[in-house]
Amino acid sequence: MVGQLTWARRLLGLWLPLAALFVFALFPFAWMAATSLKANAELYDPKSNPLWIQHPSLVHYIGLIRESNFLVWIGNTMLVALVATLISLLFGVMLAYPLARMRFPASGLLALSVGVAYLVPQTLLFVPMADLINRMRLGDSLSAVMLTYPTLLVPFSAWLLIGYFKTVPKELEEAALIDGASRWRAMTRVILPLCTPGFLSAGIFAFTLSQNEFLYALLFLNTSSIRTVPVGVTGELIRGDAFYWGQLMAAAFLGSLPVVLIYSFFVKYYVAGLTAGSVKG
Amino acid sequence: MARNDRADGSASRRDFLKLGAVGAVGASVGAGWRPRRAEAKPEKITFIRESSYVKEFDEHFKNVLIPRYKQETGINLVYEIVAAGGSAVPRNISIVESKAPVDAGWLQQEWLFREGLLDVSDIAEEVGKQQGGWYPEIKALSMWEGKWKSVPFGNIGQCMVYRKDWFDQVGATTFPDTWEEFYEVGVKLKKAGHPYGMSMGHGYADNNSWLLPLLWGFGAQVVAKDGKTITLDSNETAKAVDYVRKLYKDACLDDCVGWLDPHNNKAFLTSQISATNNAMSIMISAKRDLPEMGKVTDHALNPKGPKGRFHSLVAVTHGIFAHTPDPAATKHFLKWLMDPKQVAAWYRSAQMYHAPFLHAYDKDEEWNKEPRFKPYLKVLETGKLVSWPAPADRKAGEVVNKWVVIDMFAKACTGASTKQVIADAVTGLKQIYG
Amino acid sequence: MSVNPVLEAAGSAPQVLPARRPFRFREWLEREGVFSWLMLTPPLLFLLLFLGYPFCYGVYLSFVRRPVAQPATFVGLNNFVQLYNDPIFWQAVWNTFRFTAAATILKLGGGLAMALVMHQNFRLKGATRAVLLLPFIVPTVLSTVAWQWILDPGMGLFNRGLMYFGLMQQGPSWLGNPTLAMVSVILVNTWRGLPFFGITILAGLQTIPGELMESATIDGAGTWGRFRHVTLPLLTPVIFIVTVFSIIFTFFDFQLVYVLTGGGPANATHLMATYAYVISVTTGQLGLGSAAALAMVPVLGVVLMLMSSYVRRD
Repeated sequence: MVGQLTWARRLLGLWLPLAALFVFALFPFAWMAATSLKANAELYDPKSNPLWIQHPSLVHYIGLIRESNFLVWIGNTMLVALVATLISLLFGVMLAYPLARMRFPASGLLALSVGVAYLVPQTLLFVPMADLINRMRLGDSLSAVMLTYPTLLVPFSAWLLIGYFKTVPKELEEAALIDGASRWRAMTRVILPLCTPGFLSAGIFAFTLSQNEFLYALLFLNTSSIRTVPVGVTGELIRGDAFYWGQLMAAAFLGSLPVVLIYSFFVKYYVAGLTAGSVKG
Repeated sequence: MARNDRADGSASRRDFLKLGAVGAVGASVGAGWRPRRAEAKPEKITFIRESSYVKEFDEHFKNVLIPRYKQETGINLVYEIVAAGGSAVPRNISIVESKAPVDAGWLQQEWLFREGLLDVSDIAEEVGKQQGGWYPEIKALSMWEGKWKSVPFGNIGQCMVYRKDWFDQVGATTFPDTWEEFYEVGVKLKKAGHPYGMSMGHGYADNNSWLLPLLWGFGAQVVAKDGKTITLDSNETAKAVDYVRKLYKDACLDDCVGWLDPHNNKAFLTSQISATNNAMSIMISAKRDLPEMGKVTDHALNPKGPKGRFHSLVAVTHGIFAHTPDPAATKHFLKWLMDPKQVAAWYRSAQMYHAPFLHAYDKDEEWNKEPRFKPYLKVLETGKLVSWPAPADRKAGEVVNKWVVIDMFAKACTGASTKQVIADAVTGLKQIYG
Repeated sequence: MSVNPVLEAAGSAPQVLPARRPFRFREWLEREGVFSWLMLTPPLLFLLLFLGYPFCYGVYLSFVRRPVAQPATFVGLNNFVQLYNDPIFWQAVWNTFRFTAAATILKLGGGLAMALVMHQNFRLKGATRAVLLLPFIVPTVLSTVAWQWILDPGMGLFNRGLMYFGLMQQGPSWLGNPTLAMVSVILVNTWRGLPFFGITILAGLQTIPGELMESATIDGAGTWGRFRHVTLPLLTPVIFIVTVFSIIFTFFDFQLVYVLTGGGPANATHLMATYAYVISVTTGQLGLGSAAALAMVPVLGVVLMLMSSYVRRD
């Protein structure tokens, strides 16, 4: 009887909600995948089933890869996202650690300013930002976005990390200092490793936002070979009032694959970091 | 991949030390403050355009014109493409404001930054003289205070696109000539399951292209010729609003009140609508991807109202940014581009998708290849700028870009009273015109 | 940084320090204030240059009349007055509040549920996590374009489904009806943001030490009791931060609405961010556009005050 209870519980508490989550999150992708595999005649056919393909065809994928710079765009996007994420995490830690764990003059005011930094919308910044980038002669280069994306990411990373840093008890740090460790060592050897889930969360957020960003990429990445996926795809697959739907969906699909792979890789470390953390904690 | 090797090299090192970060910023800033040397002849000229619906048009530029120019002058042309549907304008604004290294381009919404454009009167006058003269209406856009600020190119014509087979089925063997007839046929078609799809959302072309001609056809106008007096509040406008409301209710698909520019293409190609107002793109797509549908698709001029038949121009013009480092070289490029040796073939590569503003091309062979495209040529005769009859200045542009007139019609269709929507529109206009 | 063996051996007796330069330097570094400021300086400099300067310039713009390619003329608060008198502006404000409130509540609730479900042990947990993040990962521009088609009245997935299951003869107009358009925009935003809430809260859940849960069970707490008295309080900081930032992020959301509806039909889905953009970019009034963008900030200033009280509370 106990076995029955837990089976029902698992069904209600795990499998059903999980299935619901899956459907909710993924049905658009099912549609995108189906669409990307239909040739135009079937795509526009009002009688065709949206989720089923009668005559599967790779024509859109081939067209996408052969006729556009799609693979280059993916490479650029990954590079930019990686660099912007690393910068944001680094700066995020450098901001968060003192603000979360230390008392010093003006810390409150600073925390406030960092918060204010986040409250600045892109639509306010884009004209002066374009001016700044062009003055620095960084126009039409990946450096332009690598340097401007962190402005969108650092404040959030810092705040998220503050939250995680606060959950680590002060006693751990004090114990390390008493043991003779320098602050630097206490930070890097004791506190930071415990907050790995926080880094991963902040990193996921930063990476996603970077490869998603559109406005600055539109303004600063002008040549086709420099572009990231959002700007390249919309620039060359949306022509006049015609959307190349099949290729667009193929691009959406292919564009997310590398990121999903990277995430699934990190999730392994995520879990390892967590179990280590909970044992120590 | 990146242009600026120095900054990119230091940035891609995974080993990111604090100093490395500061150093990267410092290096970029340092690199930036090096003054740009004035060149004897530019290495390259950058030309920006919105991606063309007809891909071959962009290809022609890349594969034919760029190499030819390099051969003739040794200068590299760089062709920058921006996404259609609104990306070109922020890019152009940003170019003008930050004096970015772009030399010339397709000036969408040039009324916003005429002060940032070079005077190209010499080019425009000569091209006009050489090739049959310009259609007069376009001068209202390209000329400002007596000078040409842009060189016109062509009109992305908008007229009625319809399913001849369905129209024949309900007895309309020729396309309705007046707006009233258009309504009556629409009612029959909607009953037969093939409604109209007339865009009324926040797009750029397919909404203005029928609503403004309709307004004008009923005898109403937005702002008078003096560019100051708001004339929207009139009986004619009320009649136009009432007409659109009944057209929407009795003849159109519900969805179309929110349609941006691509929606009607999609709806037509998926057989959901029998008629819409659009450029050549629907027929070109149909002929290419859905040949059966392509055979029964046809074009017609806008219906006429009590005060005449009108069309709305979607003008493509090219201009030179005033901050270009070598005005003489850039002007030479534009002149070369508009020379018949180059421009005629370029026009044809797009199947006259941009109907040339030059009379020399009225009888061009290309128009005969697909007789169903001929209405787009005729559009030029009755085509007016969206600002008509007021001057094409910033204020007129603002009216269009804030969708003041479009929303007036859209709100009437979703339930507001005619009096209210006209009053709201006038409030919007007063905000703009003062 | 190498550890000085003398210092190590000396243990915690900082007063016994020889007056030699390297020692003093290191000791000086160890001071809380100094260490903190050294850490803070590089990021602060970066933010000052790349964020501070454009921000100040943007603020300056909101007090001038500045058409594109023309010089600026000071107009004081005139831009704000103009916005105050603009009915579309107020519609955008109202839309923004509704949109943000609805989407945030849905994302928080859904994300919390997702985190609780995922917190259990099952096979392929890692892969599931990665896959469920897909809505958040796909570039917004592309997924929004896909949603345009999914919401298509005749061909779209929703209406096809409704018609297939016989629920309706003809599906509703998701993007044409003003109310449904707002619903659609909220729906797409929720779809995109929910996984992020879920994953972040999950991370918080997994930093809760196992012993705390065990001791609570031993003390007799049931599942709900454990949740209320152990889980929720410890999760609160993370939930708080994620929610606050999601509110900010959603409040400023621009790309999604712009691509899906352009702010229509008839301004029914115009947000402050899209309207500010439309003003700057399509009317070329950079001053007015900056003012509209800036107007978003004080509203969020209230949110910021909540945030700062949380930080100082420690």
